[in-house]
Amino acid sequence: MTAAPPAVPPTSADDVRRLLDAQDYLADEGTATAVFLSLRLGLPLLLEGEPGVGKTAAAKVLARALGVPLIRLQCYEGLSASEALYDWNYQRQLLAIRLAEARHEKLAESDLFSEEYLLERPILQCVRYDGPASPVLLIDEIDRADDEFEALLLEFLGEGSVTVPELGTFTARRPPTVVLTSNRSRDLHDALRRRCLYHWLEFPSAARAIEILRRTVPEANAALIESAAQFVGHVRSLDVDKAPGVAEAINWVAALAVLGATSLVREDVLATISALAKTPDDRDLLAEAADTFAFG
Amino acid sequence: MSDVAAPLFRAVDRAAFAVALGQRLRAVGVPVTSTALSALTEGLAVAPPRTVTALYWLCRVTLVHQPHDLATFDRLFDQVFRDVGLRLGGQAEGPDDAALTAPDGAEHQPTLAPGPQEATTAESLPWHTLPRVTGSDEPAEGQALPELMPSAVDAVAEVAFEDLDETQLALVGAWLERSLRRWPMRTSRRHRVVPGGRRIALRETLARSRRTGWEPVELSRSRAVLRPRPVTMLVDVSESMQAYSTAYLHVMRALARSGRAETFACSTSLTRLTPALGHRSAQVAMALASDQVTDRYGGTRLATNLARLLASRQGQALRGGVLVVASDGWDSDEPELLARAMKRARLRAHAVVWLNPRVAAPGFEPLVGSMAAALPYCDAFLPAHTLRAVLAALDVIVQPDVPGGRPLTTTA
Repeated sequence: MTAAPPAVPPTSADDVRRLLDAQDYLADEGTATAVFLSLRLGLPLLLEGEPGVGKTAAAKVLARALGVPLIRLQCYEGLSASEALYDWNYQRQLLAIRLAEARHEKLAESDLFSEEYLLERPILQCVRYDGPASPVLLIDEIDRADDEFEALLLEFLGEGSVTVPELGTFTARRPPTVVLTSNRSRDLHDALRRRCLYHWLEFPSAARAIEILRRTVPEANAALIESAAQFVGHVRSLDVDKAPGVAEAINWVAALAVLGATSLVREDVLATISALAKTPDDRDLLAEAADTFAFG
Repeated sequence: MSDVAAPLFRAVDRAAFAVALGQRLRAVGVPVTSTALSALTEGLAVAPPRTVTALYWLCRVTLVHQPHDLATFDRLFDQVFRDVGLRLGGQAEGPDDAALTAPDGAEHQPTLAPGPQEATTAESLPWHTLPRVTGSDEPAEGQALPELMPSAVDAVAEVAFEDLDETQLALVGAWLERSLRRWPMRTSRRHRVVPGGRRIALRETLARSRRTGWEPVELSRSRAVLRPRPVTMLVDVSESMQAYSTAYLHVMRALARSGRAETFACSTSLTRLTPALGHRSAQVAMALASDQVTDRYGGTRLATNLARLLASRQGQALRGGVLVVASDGWDSDEPELLARAMKRARLRAHAVVWLNPRVAAPGFEPLVGSMAAALPYCDAFLPAHTLRAVLAALDVIVQPDVPGGRPLTTTA
């Protein structure tokens, strides 16, 4: 939240890359292009990729870099309009009815269904946001919501508007910046994909992984980071249940640094293996890999 | 990127360019919507690409919406902009571009690489089948059928699959498809307003109270809706299963056509058959499937392939679903490996059903190393050697909710 909002919106993909870089997020050209186009064309951006590759982080960092608030909608099964778009404050409505009765006042329907009783949920909040720049809306792990929910999003993604039948249609003043992420645990509907720019995030190359680790774990030394990045790359090539993502690599190097390791040795790998291996099978496999991996 | 480079297309009709590229993509099977085309046109205006890589990303981000189309897109892009000798805008392909090879799209799909070929034990398979005791009672079965069958199908209901001919199999396939109207279900987290529901639906109640002067007289109730569980079927098409594989292919097709199931064939390698079997025509589907399974009637690497299935993207769909394995349990992998893979599958899936045509043999006992290793992780262990047995198996697959203790159901 420290960054001052940039005076002018980014004018090129390189600009975006520099902005994200200042927030310690190292984007490659594809990601930077996707983000830039999403900002300039006002289209939502759908990010897919393996878990832990930096999809959610991209949205968070983008909000920080642009100096705008981040509105986050975590998806889960059963998510519906009343949690994502808007809801009516039923308790207050009932109370208002009772009060009107007690005071012998007349109550019209439009009195009850006014903005006073409207509860904003993340998407409506984003549409009605009243700031100098549009906020970043992160719709996280949309594949976890059921397919009925995707249909709820279509109006918002296409037109940037939300319709409340009792009140009318709210339209965003500026096209909101929307980032959707998905782990591909199920296929999203084409109608949703059509409305978005699409970008598949890859695991970073070895050189970029080292650069990322250097930025995020400044207390670790260069030799440690280099061999750790190599080891993580090696682990990804093994037949592991859960390939370690960038997030795991960062946690692991941070754990190594906390233990005061200056270079990667077998004992330290075993001591910090819990940061990297997330199933018992993987733990055994990684312990084996640590035995055979040529350190240094 | 080279800062001084001039934009690639200075005097080009951007819309025409986008449409032409879109048409080329459509011609190779990548669906390109008109929204995508207008996004590319706008993108060319706001971010005029100066290098081929920039152009690549611009086109890819705007035009491609499915990860499985990325490889095709890469190929076409290379064909149009990189392989052709024409130099775009003079210095388009700078040195950094040459180094930056096309970002690979092919790796996104879980690759089901074939395992090493393996020799099979040829003729006699050492089935651990106990010698038949004279005068033993036949498995008296009172398995009730879910509905009456057409007589033509009824005639083949008790015939073992190995004795069925082509036309009979096709008949069975068509009939199976029709009989798969029921499906394993689970309650979802989504609620729907229904009379007699368990929760009070506030929104609906208040909306209704309009009619009664804002007095909530009628309470509306809601209940969780049911949603289908994913079903994954893995059929062993090795030599020992040869007699049954065609029949099971029909079962898989019936499942694949429902759109809620994933189907795989395995012998030495794993092949995903869902797209092929989903074809409308049964003959085409079968032909496509046989084309894809290149290592039919070879050896079996069940444990390796099950592990590969679990690691693939479709393996994620196993969560909360039903896994059906059709195999005789004759595996050239170590039994411990199979036990490990089965344990993981059991943790992930809601139920694991094992179909083994050999179970019907009188006196069969699951003593083959791998079968014995896998059995503790199965919720049901069924014969499925005839149509009637498959129907019984389908009943179990449709309703696998063996509560609590999950007793091992063996029907033989």
